[in-house]
Amino acid sequence: MFLHQLQLYNFRNYREQMVLFDQPKTIVVGANAQGKSNLLEAIQLLAVLQSFRVQRDRDLVQWGQRQGEIHGKCQRRYSTVDLCLRLFPHQRRTMLVNGVVVKTKDEFLGNLNAVLFSALDLELVRGSPEYRRDWLDRVLVQLEPLYIRLQQSYQRVLQQRNALLKGIKQGKMRYDPAQMELWNQQLVTIGSKVMFRRRRLIDRLSPLAQAWHRRISATETLTLSYLTRFPCGDDINAIQTAFYDHLQKRAIAEQQQGSSLVGPHRDDVQLQINSQPAKEYASQGQQRTLVLALKLAELELLQTVSGEPPLLLLDDVLAELDLSRQQALLSAVQPTAQTIITTTHLHNFADRWLHSAQILTVKDGEIQLNC
Amino acid sequence: MYTPPLARLIEQLQRLPGIGPKSAQRLALYLLSRPREEVTALAHAILDCKEQVGHCQVCGYLSVDPICEICRNPDRDDSTICVVCDSRDVIALEKTREYWGKYHVLGGVISPMQGIGPDQLNIPTLVQRVVKGGVKEVILAINPTVEGETTTFYVGKLLKEFTKVTRIAFGIPIGGDLEYADEMTLIKAIEGRQELQ
Repeated sequence: MFLHQLQLYNFRNYREQMVLFDQPKTIVVGANAQGKSNLLEAIQLLAVLQSFRVQRDRDLVQWGQRQGEIHGKCQRRYSTVDLCLRLFPHQRRTMLVNGVVVKTKDEFLGNLNAVLFSALDLELVRGSPEYRRDWLDRVLVQLEPLYIRLQQSYQRVLQQRNALLKGIKQGKMRYDPAQMELWNQQLVTIGSKVMFRRRRLIDRLSPLAQAWHRRISATETLTLSYLTRFPCGDDINAIQTAFYDHLQKRAIAEQQQGSSLVGPHRDDVQLQINSQPAKEYASQGQQRTLVLALKLAELELLQTVSGEPPLLLLDDVLAELDLSRQQALLSAVQPTAQTIITTTHLHNFADRWLHSAQILTVKDGEIQLNC
Repeated sequence: MYTPPLARLIEQLQRLPGIGPKSAQRLALYLLSRPREEVTALAHAILDCKEQVGHCQVCGYLSVDPICEICRNPDRDDSTICVVCDSRDVIALEKTREYWGKYHVLGGVISPMQGIGPDQLNIPTLVQRVVKGGVKEVILAINPTVEGETTTFYVGKLLKEFTKVTRIAFGIPIGGDLEYADEMTLIKAIEGRQELQ
């Protein structure tokens, strides 16, 4: 797939900007805080409907403006898709596909696939479990857009159940075993589906990440596993039974703490290098290699499933990789696959990256084509 | 910009659902241009409605009398009760003219986030109606949201030992197109498939 046109209105520091992409590789050059990452953030929003930096739409709309807009035209193998996302500071966003408003996120997702790799991704190794769960969820919504519905339902059940537990703890609500049981059942039914899909994703990503990791590091072995709070089998029924049993065991602790302690919202992805947890033992270099392997696996999987290479968005990370890692990345990306790279300087790049690349300069929210 | 009474009216109108600042201004100026009798009639209609309309003691539907017209109607089937969340749902179902049983309005759904538990809903009277006997079927017609599902299961569990409990089907709208149905609805429709008669 190829994003050939991107228009931004009142988005972050862009007032009105049109960008035309005409080469598989685009390098966006600019000093810090000029709007390089904002450009990639806009593209990622079209792909996953979520920013990798902020939660609220009001942070995305240019200060003082009533509405912001991201509009992209994307060439797929057999069709063109026109995606538009209207953002409002205090209102729900509007999504349009080919000029028609769509009501649910799953109708919007899956039209444009993108893999973003930024300095923040090092948190995948050293950060809290939340980073790893969010990463899985972002990949899943692109692979199977209906997953977003599961995720939303699960969030809703979790919020309701937490409100109930909190209300009971504070004495504002009465403990009603019948009601609690129903929330338990909903949490287990929907939560198990979330866990099942995340685990299936790990199973698919794991061999790909392992192979990439071996190609870059030569000697080390990477293992990925999905960690739940309780041991359980692979199929959905086994997960449900184990989940439900564990929920019963933790019932008293949950009431004391006033929140839900078991479920996919507490799960994690364990990353190990040569059977050692990467979080504690990996050096800076090993961490970079690991994150790169995860991203390449993500890229490969999205490509296999959708049949088209996704966009690769590299936010200020390429220049930080040494030449052998740059080579690994280059070999993973098909020459025709669209890659958009941001950087502060053009040196430090392997010549093959610069070759036939379109170079854009960003300054203070304005993008210009370098001739 | 507005003279004070007009500002107050616009502010009040703006509180109504679906009314923004521009519509509020339009409505206010329109009201101002109408004859006094017409405006008085509207004001009285609003007040009378608020003062006189309450909830039916039996089913909880909106009614001027202690017992609503539907509950009083001897032609309606006493042995079937359709449980809905809101009076609006009764209006929607009544428009079909196909349902001849009675209703029960819960007045909301279980939602701990809004502080609504089973105790805040019109559930005890429903249980009484069913326990009293004579009810052959309770149809649960509650929206299939997370909260609606919890409410459906809660009420269903309470009543199951006394009578037959059913729930309405989900699926493709009549005259709709499979191609345009959203995937979640399609999955539900396949789950709820029926043998061709």
